[in-house]
This record gives sequence, structure tokens and C-alpha cells, in this order.
Amino acid sequence: MGFQQPVTNMTDSKYKIAGFGALILLLAVSPLFLNAYWVDVLNSVGLYALLALSLNVILGDAGLYNMGHAAFFAVGAYAAAYLNTQCGLPILWALPVSGILAGLFGLLLARPVIHLRGDYLLIVTVGVGEIVRIALINNLFGITGGPNGIFGIARPELFGFRIRRPLEFFYLIWGFVAVTVFLFARLKNSRFGRALDCLREDPIAAEGSGINTGRYQLLAFMLGAAWAGMAGCLYATKMTIISPESFSFWESVLIFIIVILGGAGNISGVILGTFLIIGLPELFRGFASARMWVFGLAMMIMMVFRTEGILPHRPRLFKGLDRLLP
Amino acid sequence: MKRTVVWGLTWVMVLAGAGLGLADSIKIGLMAPVTGSWASEGEDMKHIVNLLAAELNAKGGLLGQQVEVVLEDDGGDPRTASLAAQRLATQGVKAVIGTYGSSVTEASQSIYDESSILQVANGSTAIRLTEKGLKYFFRTCPRDDEQGRVAAQTIQKMGFKKVAILHDNTSYAKGLADEGNALLKKDGVQIVFFDALTPGERDFTAILTKLKAAKPDVVFFTGYFPELGLILRQKKEMNWPVPFIGGDATNNPDLVKIAGKDAAAGYYFLSPPVPQDLPYEKTKAFLKSYTAKHGAAPGSIWAVLAGDGFLTVTEAIKTTKTTDPTKLAAFLHGGKQKISGLTGEIGFNAKGDRVGEVYRVYRVDAGGNFVLQAK
Repeated sequence: MGFQQPVTNMTDSKYKIAGFGALILLLAVSPLFLNAYWVDVLNSVGLYALLALSLNVILGDAGLYNMGHAAFFAVGAYAAAYLNTQCGLPILWALPVSGILAGLFGLLLARPVIHLRGDYLLIVTVGVGEIVRIALINNLFGITGGPNGIFGIARPELFGFRIRRPLEFFYLIWGFVAVTVFLFARLKNSRFGRALDCLREDPIAAEGSGINTGRYQLLAFMLGAAWAGMAGCLYATKMTIISPESFSFWESVLIFIIVILGGAGNISGVILGTFLIIGLPELFRGFASARMWVFGLAMMIMMVFRTEGILPHRPRLFKGLDRLLP
Repeated sequence: MKRTVVWGLTWVMVLAGAGLGLADSIKIGLMAPVTGSWASEGEDMKHIVNLLAAELNAKGGLLGQQVEVVLEDDGGDPRTASLAAQRLATQGVKAVIGTYGSSVTEASQSIYDESSILQVANGSTAIRLTEKGLKYFFRTCPRDDEQGRVAAQTIQKMGFKKVAILHDNTSYAKGLADEGNALLKKDGVQIVFFDALTPGERDFTAILTKLKAAKPDVVFFTGYFPELGLILRQKKEMNWPVPFIGGDATNNPDLVKIAGKDAAAGYYFLSPPVPQDLPYEKTKAFLKSYTAKHGAAPGSIWAVLAGDGFLTVTEAIKTTKTTDPTKLAAFLHGGKQKISGLTGEIGFNAKGDRVGEVYRVYRVDAGGNFVLQAK
């Protein structure tokens, strides 16, 4: 029996790799036979996939309950919008800057509260999300434009080519998602990822094994916030207008649901979750005003039948090819 | 297997929903916040446009075809709105009515413009929307700076020569005061006083004494109703009979409670009318059939303005006998054609802003009721 384990895993993995490859290929060529609307839906899915992946580092990997993720998304979007419209910084240059600013904001915020456990941290982050949104409405420092937001954000330019149509954004956004998935998958299998796994499952044991839990949790929080900030930058340039209603509490909840429903800690699960949560309401547009009702029902059914998420986090296997897979 | 069946069924439903309109019809899009925090506005918009479309179809439709309203939910959120706009653009609509929030409209503007689809917004008052020179964008609601214009006009029409302007330094009140100040000065009206009060105070006798010393014919107050209520009462106690005129931030029944009926009587203010106050026979008949069908009249003027958007589009198609957006836009930009809408005559200037006033003058009567004044 002991011999067969790796063998079944091997064939299993081969199928999986082939399956993943086919799905990625299908996604890459899908704009060729979809109309502008469905391409734009995929763009929306891509943006939320970025947000969900960034929250996954905080919630799924480090096990920190953060339901104010829209705040970091907002900080990145507003930073990019301000730098672009007021200082004339090209939007792709603003991408790392907005990431750094959102990351610093995450650090400042998390430093005093990171020791809070579970639901207590959740309440703090909910509060922060609301504070950020209300500060934006009240035209903080006179630079956020109040309820009307900031408009006239430039489109990104790459080697003299201006990205404008949904199809062009599709490749920008999903390219960024691909890079993110690659980096986060590598991170998961690094010393950092293993440390997070350990401290999520048992913080006391982790501390006993010489892991500096506070530092790792802060790093995870900062990384997640920074990535959400970069997603915010992409969002700002795609919409060319941002306003406080895009960063409501509901957005934080939505990202939280994606991670939990898809499978916290599992990258493919999170991406699948994004397709369901962001894609389904569009699919249900035929139901007009009942669409959110149908959507809610679908969500309840999914949660009842898959309590740990659709693709739950699996314990690490150090046999065969399993460790190469996210 | 089961999953495949469910997905298949979903697709069938979606396609069936989209395919119903394949019969010969003119499609007009309606982008409204049916979900989200403005859902009540969105529901009213939907009901009004659907009812108008039903009435039009009962009379034989448009150019011999039936009109079909395609509703898309914008969720009151720019991201959802841009998706709704993409979806409408791919469904072959000839024109789109909506939407309510300014930033929500802005997120959809360029999508319609690129697809050459006529857009008539109904509640988006931000000035910048029509300053971009978009060829296919119109709105039936006034702009944020329209109120100042109407105020200046009203003050002159009433024959006042010396005007005092009082604001409270909030961006809304200051903006309206600046707008009115500039326009009145341009027309040679003397501004004898221009200053701000401190919101939240209880005693305004100091600023009232200063105001009285300036000897104005009328005081134009651009702030909010709580301060105004106290001012009107203290003015009455000072026995100073100068008339006051204010902006739409004073349109609140609590004004009379704060000031008292005696002190509030004779106060004028500008505001878009509530739907029930619209004086036109056509509108009254429409609101009657609306109430009969939905149990209550629409809650705000903004939803009624979506109905005006629908009337604008259908009237333009009827007159020009085409659905070519370029011809329709040229027709509407002409400004000569007056379309009879639910809120009066509708015409547009070269930018796509509505000409003709949506703002009306109200006066508080002795019983504390807000009475719409004849133009």
C-alpha cells in the first residue's frame, strides 16, 4: 500500500497539471469569442481575484480575520488617482507606489492590534474600513474629492501603446493575476509560508518552535494590504473614476466571502470562488431585481454542502509532485 | 452530471431572457440602481419608464414598432454600472435612460459614447458630466450650478435691487452663494452684504443686526433649514420685515416647527418640485395611473426625470423618424424642439444640459404649508 501512494499521486498530478493548463489556455483565448460585456465581466473577476488572493495571505495563510480589506483597496486606488491626476505620474509607475503606501497603511494599522485574536481583530478591521470610507466622503485633506470622488485618471501606457478597450485590460489584469499566483504559490512553499501555516494551526506551538509570530503576522498583513493597494491602482485606471461607494463595507464582505467560500488558504479555491461570487450575479442578470436574491440562495446552498470552502486547504504532502502544486 | 444540468439550465434561462426581444422592436435601455443603497429610486425609475412604455405601445408604439425597455441594474456603484453599460451596449439598444448618481453615470459615459449610444441621465447633477464635450450625452436634471442661476433670475424678477447674501461656509452653501453673487453682480444688482454664519449656533442676533444695518431689499440665504428657522424667528422678534429667499437645503417641514408659523410665513425658497406638485394636466393623469398601479406616487423628482428621459428619446425618434444616434443627437442639440415632458417643456443646449427650469419657487403660507408659486 505504502508504495502505491506516490504512484496514484503522480497520475493524479499529471491530470491536474493538464487540467490547469487547459483552463488557463481557455481563459487566455476566451476574449476572442466573447463580446465586450463578458470580457469586462472577466476583468471584474480578475480584479477581485487579485483582492481575494491578497486577503488570502492575511485570512487564509496567517489566519487573521480581516473584514476591512476594502480600506487597503481604497488607499491604493486613491493614492494612484491622486498621484496620476495631481502629480502627473504615469499610472503604471503609480502601481508600486500605491502598493507601498497601502502596505505602510496596513502596517501602521496592524501594529497596535495584531495581537488581538479572531473576532476581536475582525471588529477592529470593520471599524477601520468604515473610517476610511467616511474620511473619503468628507474630502480628507481636500484631496479625495468628497462624495464625487476623483475623475480623469489616465489609462495605462505600455511602450507607447495605450490600454483602453476591455480586451486590452483583460491581458493587463490577468497578466498581473498570473504573476500574483506564481509569486504567492512560491511564497506558500517557502519558509515564510510554512511559518504562517504553523502559526495559524497552533500559535503557541509555533512560538515554541522559534517562530516570531508577531513579526510574521505583521509581514503577512502588510503584504496582503500592499497587494490590495496595487489592485486598487489597476481598478482606478480601468474605471478612470473612483468614488467612496466603490469601497463600501459590502466590498470587504464580498472579498471575505470569496476567500471563505472558495477555500481559505487554497489559491485555486480562491480563484474559483471569485468566478462564482463575481460571475454569478452577472449570469443572473436575467432575473432583474431578483438577481441578488438568487445569488444569495446559491451562496447559501454552496456553503451548506461545502462547509470548508469549495476547494479546502490541504495539508502539505512531501511526496511525488504534490509540493509543486499550489 | 448534476452540475452540468444545473449550468445548462442556467444558461437556457439567461438566453431565454435575452432572446425574448428578438421580435421587431425598438430597444431602449434603462440603467437604474435597482439594488444597493438607492434601490428605492431605481424601483421608481423602473416603474415610471415601464408605464410610459406601456402607454406608448398601447397607442401603437414608435415608427410602427413596439418599444422594449431593457433594464440593467447599476447597483449604485461605478463598477457594476460599467458592466451594465457594456451589457446594454452589446444588446443593441438605441438609447439609454439613466442613471441616478453622478459618479455612477460617469463610469458608464465613455462606454456609451464609444458605442454611439444616446444617453439621457436623470439624477446626475455634477457639473463636469456635460463639460467633456460628449456628443451623445444629455440630462433631464439640472446641474449643480443651475440653482444659482435660477435664484439670481428669481430675485431680479421680483424686482429687488439691493441684495444681502448669507451662507454658512459649507461647500454647498458657499458654492451657491458665490454663484448667485457673481450672476447678480453681472446684472448690475447691488450686493450690500456677503458673509457667513456659524452653523450650529443658537443666537444669530449679532449677524442679523449687521444685516439690518446694510439695508437690503431681500436676503438670499444659501445654508440649511435649522439655522434658517432660528434666524426667521429672531428676525420676527427684532420686528424686521425684510423678505428672505433660500435654496433647496431649506426645503424641510421642520423649518416651520423651528421658526413657528408666524415667523416662517412669507419665506420663499427654490427647490425642484415634489412629483405631486407638478402643475401639468398630463403629469397629473400619469401620476394617477401610476398610483393606481403601484399604490403610491413616486417618491422624488429624480425618478420622474427618468420618465422625461424616456419621453425625450421617444419623441426624438418619432419626429426624426430614425433611430440613428447621430441624427437624434443633432436634433436634441438643436434646442429648438420643445418636447412636452412630465416636468414641463424639455429642451437641450449644445452641451446636452437641459434648458428651461426644473427649479420652482415655493412660498410658506400663513398655515406653514409650502405652496408652489406660479412662474
